[in-house]
Formats: sequence, structure tokens, C-alpha cells
Amino acid sequence: MKKIIYTFLFLALLTPSVSNAQEVIGAIKDMWSYPVVYSFDEEVTWYFDLAGTSAVENEDFYIWIWSPSEPDAGNFNSSSDFAKLTYEGDMIWSFTLTPTEYFSRTPEEIRNSDGFWFFLKDKTGTKQTEVTQMKYTDFSAFYDAGEIMKAYPSRPSLNEGVSILFNSNLVEGFENANNVYFHSGLNNWAVPMEYQAWVPERVEKTRTTNLGNGFYKMDLIPSEYYGVEPDFVMENIVFLFVAEDWTAVGPDLILNAAEDIPPPPAEFRFFPLQLSKKDFLGVIRINNERGVNSLHYTVNAGPKVITGEFTGNTTEIKGFIDLVTALKDVENVSEIHVVIEDNNGRVITDTTIPLIPLD
Amino acid sequence: MKKMKFKFLSLLLAVLVFSCYTPDDGDHVEPITTYEVIAGEWGLMNLTMVDEFAKRNNIKPNEENLSTLFNFEDFRIRFDVDENNRPTTYEVVGDVPPLFQLKGYWDLNSDFQPTNSSSIVIRLYSDADKTQLKDELHLTSVPRTNRQMELQIIRTTDGTPFVSYKFKLIEEI
Repeated sequence: MKKIIYTFLFLALLTPSVSNAQEVIGAIKDMWSYPVVYSFDEEVTWYFDLAGTSAVENEDFYIWIWSPSEPDAGNFNSSSDFAKLTYEGDMIWSFTLTPTEYFSRTPEEIRNSDGFWFFLKDKTGTKQTEVTQMKYTDFSAFYDAGEIMKAYPSRPSLNEGVSILFNSNLVEGFENANNVYFHSGLNNWAVPMEYQAWVPERVEKTRTTNLGNGFYKMDLIPSEYYGVEPDFVMENIVFLFVAEDWTAVGPDLILNAAEDIPPPPAEFRFFPLQLSKKDFLGVIRINNERGVNSLHYTVNAGPKVITGEFTGNTTEIKGFIDLVTALKDVENVSEIHVVIEDNNGRVITDTTIPLIPLD
Repeated sequence: MKKMKFKFLSLLLAVLVFSCYTPDDGDHVEPITTYEVIAGEWGLMNLTMVDEFAKRNNIKPNEENLSTLFNFEDFRIRFDVDENNRPTTYEVVGDVPPLFQLKGYWDLNSDFQPTNSSSIVIRLYSDADKTQLKDELHLTSVPRTNRQMELQIIRTTDGTPFVSYKFKLIEEI
């Protein structure tokens, strides 16, 4: 409740400076961070999925954040470069920061704040996303949990980040370790990424982050870390934490992969199933692939060529073509040729539809 | 003979008495025709396109809402009658696609609402003599106290419907 009040208060205070007509381009569809879990004094990258908004690829966006503090205060009409996002492709933008530095706050102050409240905007503030909050996963309970290992998420996915925490205090021999390494493999060591103390690149790659007090963290995205194709079927990650030069070895551990649920296939259909030249032709496509947000049509009907486009989102793109007006003075047309392409130029359908003769 | 004369006189008296009887039911009122309830200007509440082929074969979706497309939110239709409540002209107001002829002359297939379930049909003509029938609108819901009605234009081939459009209308005041 406090957060909600805070947000509304902020918006009320903001009103005079942003009263120029602003376009709200929609809600941020999805957000995540890498590393998945992080300390407030650790560098992190936040990712924002703007598919489903009216944002266009490679557009410039800036973060406008006012909690835990407001680093770009006073610059709403001309956001600073330090608040600028990076376009990652596929309608995803990112912002990299170290929270304690960006907000000029201590970890304790950030922890006691209302969280990370923000929206994304263009430089001059003429358009923006809806207000939202970047969730933070507090993993401090692990320090007292008495567990050797904990992963976020507990069942990793091939193409998404995972953070694996290790409590070396529970394993004998790690007391004097300078560094701890992640010796691991995918699918029961079918694709290994071993800690090889004599290969500097491998030492670097497998080194964990020292969180202090005998706690360590490994962050990785399986497909990138193990160098497998994005369509590789990951069943598990098997691993053990080892001290430098194998002076200590933790127990064998395993994380089973998340169930791979493929997105539902796209479906295209015309409406209705039969039509005459005095009818509207509906064009409907659901479960669209990411990045598909409009359909372009070309209808050849006798001497007439009708073109246009319908916009929508990944859930649905739908529109109706007005054959009624276009063909009202056209005689002897018994069929139409319809070509539908998506905004990436891919042909969705190229077909001929008979026109039913009317009684 | 005397008995027959009495019977005849009694019958004559009865005829005279009853022929002078006028029931006290107020002034004579012509029954309200369907023309009277349809006459006026009607605005669109809802326009639904129905895939009759899909509906018949239990395929979904078989209905789509077109109310906000192609200016149909501005659709209005006016049915005119003369001083005797006989149908004259009609006109669609609003820049909408011609799903049926947008102006002309009209009448009904029946002056009164039929007692059976067959719907009343509004026949649309291009000429005042009503010889050139252009379209037919089925009156699927008759205006009552809520002053709403529903018209349907049905596309058929070989007598079988394959698409229809349902106009839900409310009287403009």
C-alpha cells in the first residue's frame, strides 16, 4: 500500500512538468535481470521486453526511476545519457547499473526503500511505458539456511540465467580457499565445462563470485556458458564446487532443468469461411511469434487491388477488409487472390478465395 | 296459426332490439400496424457478422463484432411513412459500406406481425412503384416499449445462408 501511495504521490508531483500530451505505449511485457540474484553493490543488467507495446525496434529509450532515488531529477524533458538503455534486439532493451553507485545509496538504504520504481521513456518525455517495479530477489536467507547449495531459479532453462549459491562453510577444506570454481557439465557431463587449473581462460570462466564469509555465487546462461545451440535439449546441470588447485572438493550436485514448454503454434484464419463480393473479409492470426505485430494484405479482385495493414500483438492481429465498398461497382468477379505478409516480410498466406454467387 | 304469428313477432322484436344495440367500447381505433412501430430513425447499438456456414457446422468462431469498424458507430437508418402510416422512403445516414442498398423505398411482407414464427421482412426497392426489389431485411426482433429492434440481412446461395449481418438498433429521440 505504501508503494502504491508513493507512486501516486510521485505522479501527482510530476504532473506539472509532464503535462504535455504523453503517449503511454503500454506495459512492459516482461522484465528480468542478469545475474538473476545480485547484491546491491554488484553490477547487474536489467532487461525489458517491450514486445506488445507500440515501441519500434532500435528506438532510443531512457529509464526514469525515482525510487530508491532519482538520479536524473530535473531532466524529464531531456533525459541524460547515463539513463539511456541499450537495444539488445528482438524488442528487448537493457540497462546496466551497480545500484549503490547509480542511486548513491548504501545497500542498507536500498534494502529499506520502496524498491525500484520506474518507467521507460523517450528522451524528451513525449512517450513512456506504464509505471512498474523491478522486482528484487532477496537471497540473504541463504546465509542462515544451513544449505550447501541453492539455485535461482531452482530449475534452470537453457536460454535463461541461473544463479547458484554455495555455502563453503558446510564443507571441510574450504576454510583457506583463495578462490572457488564451478566444475560442471550438462546432461550428466555430456557437455562438460571443467575447471582446468592449468588453462587460464578456463580458470577465469569457471571462477565463482566471492560473496564473503565463505559464500560463493556462480552466474551463467547455460546455452552461452556451455556453447550449445539454443535448441539443445537440456536435462540437467551436474556440478561440484572446488577450491583452487583442487585443494578441496564439494559434493556432487545436480539441478534438473525446467520443463521445456514450447509456445503454442501460430494460427491463421479467414472469417467467414464462405463469402460473396458484398461481404467483409476478416483476417485473424493468433499466437504470433515475437516481433510479429502487423499483417499487410494485398487483394486482387478483378480490376481492383486492395492493400492495407492491420496491427496487433503476439496474442492476436485481427482486421477486416472492406470488399463491400471496393467491389460494389465491379461485375463478373468470381474469385479474389489474397496475399498476407507479416511485418518481417514473411508470406503468411498466398491463396485464391472463390466468391459465392448470391441468390 | 296464432302461435306462429306470436313467434314471428317475437323474432322481429328481438331483431329490432339487437340491431339498435351499440357496444360501449369508446371510439373505433384502427389496430397498430408494424409500419407505425418501425417508422422513425434508428441508431446502431451493435453490428454482428455471422458466419452461417461455420455456425451450421459447429465451427468457431462464427460471429465477429463489427460495431466499431467502417464508421458503423455512426450508422443510422430512417424509415418514413405517410399520413396514413403507409411506407414511403428509407435512408441510411452515415458513411458506411453498402451492406444493402442505402436509400430507396420500402414496405413489409405483412402489415401486421404474423402469429406464426415467420419473421417480418422489410423489402427495399429502388423505385417508388416498388417493382425493383433490391434487398430484404429480416425483422428478427420487433420494437416494444424499450424501442429496440433487430434487423438481419442474410446472404444466401441456392437458398442456403452462408453469411448474415445482425443490426441491433435503438430509436433515436
